[in-house]
Formats: sequence, C-alpha cells, structure tokens
Amino acid sequence: MSLFQKTATELSGMLKSKQISAAELINDVFARIDAVEDKVQAYITQTRALALSQAEKVDERRQKGEDMPMLSGIPLAVKDNIGVKGIPLTCASKMLQSYIPPFSATVIDVLADNGTIITGKTNLNEFAMGSSGETSYFKMTRNPQNLDHVPGGSSGGSAAAIAAGEAVISLGTDTGGSARLPASYCGVVGLRPTYGAVSRYGAVAFASSLDQICPMGRSVADVSALFSEICGPDKMDATTANRGYLDFTASLDGEINGMIIGIPAEYFSDAIDADVAKLVMDAVRVLEREGAVIKQISLPSTGYALPAYFIISAAEASSNLARFDGVRFGHRANEYVNVDELIEKSRGEGFGDEIKRRLMLGTHFLSAGYYDKYYKRAALMRRRIQAEFEAVYQDCDCIVSPTAATTAAKLDENMDDPAKRYSADSCTVAVSLAGLPAISVPCGTALDGLPVGLQIIGKRFSEEQVLKMAYRFETATGGPKSLSVINQ
Amino acid sequence: MKIDVRHTAKLAKLWLNENEIADFEKQMNEILRIVETLPELPDDGFLLDPENVMSLRPDIVEPSLSRSELLANAPQKQAGCIVVPKTLKEGI
Repeated sequence: MSLFQKTATELSGMLKSKQISAAELINDVFARIDAVEDKVQAYITQTRALALSQAEKVDERRQKGEDMPMLSGIPLAVKDNIGVKGIPLTCASKMLQSYIPPFSATVIDVLADNGTIITGKTNLNEFAMGSSGETSYFKMTRNPQNLDHVPGGSSGGSAAAIAAGEAVISLGTDTGGSARLPASYCGVVGLRPTYGAVSRYGAVAFASSLDQICPMGRSVADVSALFSEICGPDKMDATTANRGYLDFTASLDGEINGMIIGIPAEYFSDAIDADVAKLVMDAVRVLEREGAVIKQISLPSTGYALPAYFIISAAEASSNLARFDGVRFGHRANEYVNVDELIEKSRGEGFGDEIKRRLMLGTHFLSAGYYDKYYKRAALMRRRIQAEFEAVYQDCDCIVSPTAATTAAKLDENMDDPAKRYSADSCTVAVSLAGLPAISVPCGTALDGLPVGLQIIGKRFSEEQVLKMAYRFETATGGPKSLSVINQ
Repeated sequence: MKIDVRHTAKLAKLWLNENEIADFEKQMNEILRIVETLPELPDDGFLLDPENVMSLRPDIVEPSLSRSELLANAPQKQAGCIVVPKTLKEGI
C-alpha cells in the first residue's frame, strides 16, 4: 500500500517511529497529485515548494527529539475560502482572482505551528454558495468515485482531494451542508462542528450565523484528530464559545450501549431515494446491534428548513459580500465614469450568476417593506426548528438520517434550475439553522455504484458522542473505506 | 409577488446586461415562490444560549498589519492611498 492511501492515524505512527519522513510522505502525495489531478481537478492552487520546505522543517524538529503533535507531517488540503498568508485566496471567483491574504486564518496558524503540511487550496462553488461543486470560476472538480458525477459542494475540492489520495486530510466549510454533502457524495467523512466550536477568523464570510470550518478525512479517527486541533475559543472570533475541549481521539472507542438514537420520520419521506433510505436504515440496524436503542421521533418543521435557510443565508450574504466593491481589493472594472459605476461594474464582472442571484434575493429580503415578510418569518422558523430539536433531545442522545436524499448527480444536471439544485441540501440545512454538530460517514454504495452518507446529529457541543457513534459504526462495518480507483 | 430585477440589481450594486434580466427574473421568481411557503409564526423571541455567551474583548489598539501590506491588494494606488474616481460633482 502506498503512503498516500493510508490514513493520518496510520501515517502519524510511521512518522513517529521514523519508519518514514515527512518529506517522503509529501513527495508521495505530490506524485499522486501528478498522476490523477488532471482527471479530478481538486486544486485551484498547489503549494508544492512550501509543502516540501515545511516537511523538511518537521523532519528536523523530530530529528532533534521534539515531541511532535499527532498531525505534524500530515498533508492537509485547504478549501480556497480559508486564508493562508501569502498564498492566493480566490474563493473560486473572478472577484478574488489575484488576491493574496496578508494574514492566515486562526485554524491555519494552529495547524502550521503543529507542523501539519499544506498541499494547496481546493476548488469550491464560488464563494461557497451551492451544493453541486460546479460553479467555480476556474474549473470543475469531478467525483473521484465516478468522474462523470459531481463531487458535491461547496467543499467539493476538499472532499475530492482526500477521496482521490491527493491529500490525507482536508479543511472545508459548511454553511447549509457544504462539508457534509460532498463528504457523502465522495465517500469520505466530514464533520460540521457545533456553531462556536471552531474559530472562523480568516475564512471568507458567506452567512455568518451559519458558517463553520469543518474537518474532513477518510476515517473518523482522522477527523477527530483534526477537530481536536482546531476547536477552541479565539479572541479573533467573538462567536467562539469560551469552553475547554478534550482530545476527541481518546474517547472514540467508548461504548454506545444504551445510547438512544432518534429516527425522524421527516428525513425518510418519499423525497429520499429508496436505495439511500435502505442503506441508512441498514446502518441504523448496525448501531442497534452495537447496543444503541432506536426511537421513532418527529421534527415537524423540517420541510420549512430549506426556505428559512435560503432567506437567512442570502440576506447575510448580501451584507457580507458588500465588501467586494473594487476599491480596496478584488476585481476592478476597467471602464467606469463615476464611483457608483466603478462598484456596480466591478461586482457585475467579478461575480458569477449564482452569486448575483443570491445577492439580489438577499437584498430583496432585507429591503424596506419586505423584511417582515421574509427575514422575520425565516428567523422565527429558525427558532421553532431549534426548539423542536431541543424537545427531541430530552429523550435522545443523537439523531440519525441520510446526509443527502440522493447520490451525486451527473455533471451539468439541473444547472438551469437553481431551485431544484437548492433541494440537495434538504437533509442538512436544519442542523445548520439549529447550530448543532453533525457528521457524515460513508454507509455503503447505492445501486448506481456511488457512495451514500449516514448523518449523525448531536446536541450542541456533543461532538464526543457524535464521533464515538460514527467510529463505532465505521469499526463495525470493516473500518475506514479504501481509496477509490480512478480509471476513466 | 414578482421581483423587479432592475431595481434590485441597483440596490445590490450589481451591473447586469439587458440580455441576462429575463433569465434572472424567471429563476428568482421561482425561488420566491418556494420561500413564500413559510408560514407566519408568533413572535416569541429569539433563542439565546446562556451557557455559551459571546464574549467581547476590550477595545485596545494593538500592532497590526503595515500600510504597505494592507495596500498590496488594492487595484489602483498612488502615494500610499487608494485611487477612486471623484466622488464630488464639479461646482459643489
């Protein structure tokens, strides 16, 4: 087995015992990138020279006898809406085509200090808006499980990179499902942490009451290790909760005996592919055999989550993306007669259609006379959805559902029907609105040969339970999935 | 309700080509039709999380990035300033 096929947990042990060096590992991963990146197109920017010099530094530190953290020397791909100082940050947009961030995100500083090696910046839906992975200004990432299909979005590059062996672990972001959905489509593991568990400082804001930075990997243990390093309070992000966290890898192997799993009827409706629902229910049976207790529950407002999410996220985006005005940074139009035209033309040229659509709708939702009709209704629905989760959690430890209603669509499918594309998030947005932690873990292959994801949703700040449940499922079904074969 | 694309684009400061407007209008009206299914709910206040309150830090001036670092991404600059068109009309 080549190095690039191994998990971070395995590689960490080999690095520690000096069986391999960080330089050897990074060279192996870049050889893999050279072999498959033409087909997968996961990266916008590769940071090969930087990665190699970082790896050599890690090897030196280890040679000197320094006790290195678990992820030191492990190759990490970073979604290109998270800033790394001095490396282009594009958000997959023409608007930021030539932007170089003068500072790094807090999560990047933490990981770099620990010696984690950055392989590059991964492709995404422009400004992280969308669930197919197809609206990047630069390229279209393909699903390594089947290159004719989308990787899912918006963290499509981060999911595809690890599914293809072009990185060992990755960082994504999740606003309405952007880490969980591509994890499900590409057959990898993605955790959306509790709102406030991970600092967003240095990640480009889309909808600030929803955005989270997310650890992704090919195993639950790898995701737990990455989450353990990046969680915690940060004075640069006032929304981070002021609380302490344990090392989540230490508690993974705990019993789930007696834990109560809620099965919400609304997440198993006719809108879910029968094939997907069957695999998810098979997964529930596995957890039951492992000692969990199954309980039927109801979350009645689930069907309203998507419209409420769309209004809130578009409204916040219209405000957040006002900073892109062609004045201080980003794309500036060549021809304009006054400052208004400078701003309008720079934005008109710099943003793709999906961004324009959402910014206009968000502006409409917040404009005079419409606020009560749209934004206020959505905010109150969000409150109701949160309350329904709280009520259910009086008698449940976690909730299990499909991550997505279907497997990954074919490339270009539904491109002309934005409303239909938004429905891909129907199983993930309620969790985002409620600020809960949720993980997507692979639970089998559908009849079309594509992976299906099991979503495990926890109470706020109950990542330990969520990860333990996911780990137990993964272990009971043969351990982490091996890499997909890319043969087209 | 139908959306007035030209007016909304103006509010959002987005320059659109005339030939794009019809498509945007159709797609945005379809989305409005979906979000308008949200019912009106009683206003019973918003959820606060008393266990995880946002903490504010004191407003203290600290060393930050230099002017040249901050200006490095500006599309047009001159003598340490960002260049923009005149914002005042002649004769005012």
